[in-house]
Amino acid sequence: MFAHNNEEIDYLRLAITNSLLIQKNTGIKNITVVTDPHSLKHNEKTLGKRFIKKAINNLIVVEKDKKFKNSNIRLYKDTSHSSKYLPFYNVNRCDAYDISPYDETILIDADYLILSDTLNHCWGHNNELMMNWKYQDIMYERKDPSLDRLYDMGITMYWATVVYFRKTEYVESFFNIVKHVRNNPQYYKDLYKWQGTLYRNDYSFSIAAHMMSGFADKGISQLPTTLYKSFDTDDIHKVIDNQTIIMYLEKPRAPGDFILTKWQGLDLHIMNKWAINRFTEEFLNA
Amino acid sequence: MSTRLTKALEFANYRTTLNNQQAQLKAKTQSLLSYSINGGTFTIDIPLITFCKQLLDQNQKETVLLDVYNNPIKIDIKDFYNEIESRYFEVTNDYYVEFEKLRKARKVHKVLDLNEKGE
Repeated sequence: MFAHNNEEIDYLRLAITNSLLIQKNTGIKNITVVTDPHSLKHNEKTLGKRFIKKAINNLIVVEKDKKFKNSNIRLYKDTSHSSKYLPFYNVNRCDAYDISPYDETILIDADYLILSDTLNHCWGHNNELMMNWKYQDIMYERKDPSLDRLYDMGITMYWATVVYFRKTEYVESFFNIVKHVRNNPQYYKDLYKWQGTLYRNDYSFSIAAHMMSGFADKGISQLPTTLYKSFDTDDIHKVIDNQTIIMYLEKPRAPGDFILTKWQGLDLHIMNKWAINRFTEEFLNA
Repeated sequence: MSTRLTKALEFANYRTTLNNQQAQLKAKTQSLLSYSINGGTFTIDIPLITFCKQLLDQNQKETVLLDVYNNPIKIDIKDFYNEIESRYFEVTNDYYVEFEKLRKARKVHKVLDLNEKGE
């Protein structure tokens, strides 16, 4: 996981919470988190060094690229009622291949909560690189076509939320292309026509997937698990245990109005980071 | 708002919650019916179980099956069959129990296993 805090969102706290969920639900103990001195110092103060060590056995501290931090700004929402523009620091995710000390790695977002052991299906897989282009919203009738492609006529968008990889020549080349996209965003933006000015790893991983498949669409195999996601307009109502949460889901045709759902035994990408931060105590005690 | 309309809206909320909960349960079941072995991933279903049983009855020991990625995976039929058969029954029985519980729930809080205060 990569976890760099901004002024409002404590990504490292999310990663620590998720690390404990990973340990409980998958039995995986080798967890690496890449963070920065500021995020670490803040969490050492709030959670304690010992607690962090208990959750993460390999903590890598790197300096932030301040220029990138100040230029990559995105809109974060805490339901439809509150939103804020904040720095989105995601520039070093493409270094995962070089940073990972393992032969096999599952790279995940800090806000992809591991509520099951389904990712264990990946270990020892024949496919050396897997990630999802298919996703499912947790409210089944909600659809957002803008998440399907880089732009309306563009290539299929892969989600860099969960990526399984083995250390092989092919995967190394894949990550080299991801890095090339990161280093030359304007060139690739013109070529692949992604919308907006924000740099997202979903874009660079999708472009690398397209190129490494011989410029064919959907050429990289998907993970043996479905990617379930919520929107940042949703919220958490309650944490029941380490596999079960009750979520508020915003109705598609009534913004600001919610229905409840019980989510159990499936990993979930929670886009509303504030919601997870509000419930970290409950997750840590679950 | 009239009582009739309030009731109708409550029922609509209940149906939406119930539909979503049923879909979640189905998704969880499908995920549990996925089985990975020897670098491949299989979806456990009735045709796979039946096919393996047939091979077992023909006294075959090993075979190559195509997994969900259409990759050829060599398996030991007896061990594979025992594993997928027991998993199938375990998962579908749990699905049945949960599904029946949902079917009988007539209020949103019961669908979600909460008390009336939502706790």
